[in-house]
Amino acid sequence: MPIAIEGDLVRLEGVCPVEDAMPLIEFLRQESSPRLDLSQCTYLHTALWQLLSLGPAKLEAPPSDPFLARWLVPFMAAR
Amino acid sequence: MTSLLERFIPEAKEHLQSAAAGLLKLERDPSESDLVNEVFRSVHTLKGASGLFDIPGLTRLVHAAEDLLGAVRAEQVALDSDMVDLLLIALDHVGNWVDGLASHGKLPDDAEVISTDAARRLRAFLPGDDPAATLPAPEAVNTTPPVWLFALAESDRLEAFRISVSGGGAVQAVAFEPDDGCFYRGEDPVNLIRQIEGLVCLRLARRAGPEELEHVDPFRCALVLRCLAVQPRQEIEHLFRYVLDQVTIATVSPETLIKPEGAPGGGSDYDAFVLDARARLAKRDWPGLRQSAAGLLYSAQEGLWTTSALRWLDASLAAPLPNSDWITRLIDDIAHGREAAPLDTKAQPPAWRILMEQRRIIAMPGDVETLKRRLAGVEAAIVNLLASFGWSVRQGELTAAVAAAETGAYARLDALILALQARVEAAPSAPPAAAKAAPLTAGPASVETPAEQRQPARMLKVDQNKVDILMTLIAELVVSKNSLPFLAKRAEEFYLSREMGREIKEQYSVIDRLTQELQRAIMDVRMVPVSDVFGRFPRLIRDLSRKLQKQIELKVIGEETAADKTIVDALADPLIHLVRNSIDHGIELPDEREGVGKPPAATIQLRAFQEADQVVIEVSDDGRGIDPDVIRAKAVEKGLIAPDQAAALPDQEAIELIFLPGFSTAREISDLSGRGVGMDVVRSAVDKINGRVSLSSHKGEGTLVRLFLPLSMVVTRVMTVEVGGLQFGVPMDGIAETVRVQKRQIRRLKQSEAFVLRNTVVPIRRMHDLLDLEGDLREDDEEAVLVARVGAATVGLVVDRFREGIDVILKPLEGVLAGMRGFSGSALLGDGSVLLVVDLKELI
Repeated sequence: MPIAIEGDLVRLEGVCPVEDAMPLIEFLRQESSPRLDLSQCTYLHTALWQLLSLGPAKLEAPPSDPFLARWLVPFMAAR
Repeated sequence: MTSLLERFIPEAKEHLQSAAAGLLKLERDPSESDLVNEVFRSVHTLKGASGLFDIPGLTRLVHAAEDLLGAVRAEQVALDSDMVDLLLIALDHVGNWVDGLASHGKLPDDAEVISTDAARRLRAFLPGDDPAATLPAPEAVNTTPPVWLFALAESDRLEAFRISVSGGGAVQAVAFEPDDGCFYRGEDPVNLIRQIEGLVCLRLARRAGPEELEHVDPFRCALVLRCLAVQPRQEIEHLFRYVLDQVTIATVSPETLIKPEGAPGGGSDYDAFVLDARARLAKRDWPGLRQSAAGLLYSAQEGLWTTSALRWLDASLAAPLPNSDWITRLIDDIAHGREAAPLDTKAQPPAWRILMEQRRIIAMPGDVETLKRRLAGVEAAIVNLLASFGWSVRQGELTAAVAAAETGAYARLDALILALQARVEAAPSAPPAAAKAAPLTAGPASVETPAEQRQPARMLKVDQNKVDILMTLIAELVVSKNSLPFLAKRAEEFYLSREMGREIKEQYSVIDRLTQELQRAIMDVRMVPVSDVFGRFPRLIRDLSRKLQKQIELKVIGEETAADKTIVDALADPLIHLVRNSIDHGIELPDEREGVGKPPAATIQLRAFQEADQVVIEVSDDGRGIDPDVIRAKAVEKGLIAPDQAAALPDQEAIELIFLPGFSTAREISDLSGRGVGMDVVRSAVDKINGRVSLSSHKGEGTLVRLFLPLSMVVTRVMTVEVGGLQFGVPMDGIAETVRVQKRQIRRLKQSEAFVLRNTVVPIRRMHDLLDLEGDLREDDEEAVLVARVGAATVGLVVDRFREGIDVILKPLEGVLAGMRGFSGSALLGDGSVLLVVDLKELI
């Protein structure tokens, strides 16, 4: 499972497909101060980009994937 | 049939229809680029969807049509009438094949041949293989820089510029607006962009829509993606080949990217540099100039316009072969301390300009106190702007960015404002509130936007059979509901419980109200606009007018008028017939029209409107009208009427002779209307759905045909009568009145009987004779007579007794009863008995 939730921390790992959007939005809706780990993520579906740009998740571990680090992080921060 | 194919068929029909309608409009106004796109999109989507099935013939033809439309869209070929003809024919073929798919699950055998031939003819219009002719020079393609280009961070533009001038080639500015349902088609926009090898920068913005997690649909794409890439245009087009309609690619020259930004100022400090730079420019001393610029840049203050211009100068000089024009311009700009021709920000929405101003304010130099004051102003302005758009930013983000800016780190705040600018651009239209500087008092409450306002109406496509089943069920519910009053009566009379009876009646009134609402709702579902039928006329008229060389304008009014689907469907044939008649017989050739002082182009008007519980459809033209004398002569010639009878007919009745079976005035048989079927077809088709036709015409001025149709066929109002001890229903719309006639007033004329009603002789028929029943043997000196209208004639029907009028749901007679003449159907009554409803026209 590319999406792993431990308490208030959500970890997206490897290739995350569009199906992960449902558990992710559920998680973001429930947690008051969610934390996010993208360090092991290599591929994130657009639907997840979209959610992360809305969600209040704190980026605990930034992605090591250069594409995500370069474009997703600023997009999340711009919110 | 697979469920996928089941979904494909109605979708394909829709796309075909919209493509055909678009083509017709386009033929009139070829400059409408929106229309070209619309038609192209329909055909393109159709092609994409058809690829899912093994129907190569269909896909090939649609593909050829798509390519031709693509060339039209790219302005490589101009659309003309011959092209439209071929495209329409191609769409017709495809339409037939789709019907074939629906009924047989495969294409007809000749599809392959037709497709190859038609595709070849379509492709003949495409520009030849000569590459110079096929594609305009890439630089010539859409070089107007998109406005969003200058909202990108300077660093992004600089990087694209550097790569481009150091031999990377042209810069492509790609704007990708995926439609909101794209995730369902397995598309992944961000990762499509990720595949661009020469990607320089990627900016994402959200379209307007719900922002709160509670209201967001995670599977609905709300992103707008923009990127700069240094890569040949064809490669990018190839990458986006399936979504080309959602992508705008602009090839921008590196020069257009040069756009220094920042706060004005510092002009005088640079006098020495400008002098030195101009001297080196004259000598083409690029390395020296670059060194001098780099030295200045090292100590230059961040956020100033001149500093930015220096960076651009540096980047221009870094090119293997610096462009002296660009450099001259940049040096001139630095000398003036600002850009010679400032960026046209007027084209941007006011909110965008407000944000731009905030960026300028942030970049202004000043002491700590001034800075704090300014930043407070900037923060307030942003909060107000957000409120006026109904947007919000993440809690604390703005405050944090402002706090950082106070310590001198502007980047975060600047990025935030940039992102907002991108959102303003992506927003469909700025709310008027944003146009003014919003008051400083906007509370956080206004940041929330009502989610329901933004939800577009969702449509659901349902098989008509399912609706019909629902309707039958509701009809049965209505019938069983009607049995409750009987039950109440029985409770009172048989079980002698008044209370029980009353309670049943109370319950009945509730159920009655609910079923009425149900009935209304289901009838509403079945209502469709007449535009479904009107939609085919632009094509028909275009084709016929070209064929007959007549000039015809079609005017359509009231196409949103709705009626029951059965009625609208039944309308199609009579209407086509009427319009064809109009074109064939009514409308003169342009010369003839001009000869009598009419404009050369004739007008055919289709008009629909609702009048009480009827839908009225009018077909009118301004042609030559109907000549009553010609009609009289023709009717006599055909032996439909005796000469003296014809001469005695008033003009109005004479022209109505055209409704007689076997009447046709066409001088020669054309393939349009003179096919041996006349206006009688129209009348009988309209009769079948309980409608009525009226005709009026003035010689030389035109003709007007009106069809009066019931709104709905679901519920029929009938009058119940008793004949020979049995109950029958007579449709109410055929009944003129009910009268009681003294037996002595009935005169016998040979075999037939008649009586005089208000100075008119009304022939009488006895229902029990017509139905072959025992007559009423009561000795009464009065007869109950139902005066009914059958066609144009009035008939008095003698019945035993009148009963009440009721609403029934008429069901056609089926099975062994189907052939029984004289009845239009049966209906169930509340007490469980069956009521036969007579068809007066057949009976008499």
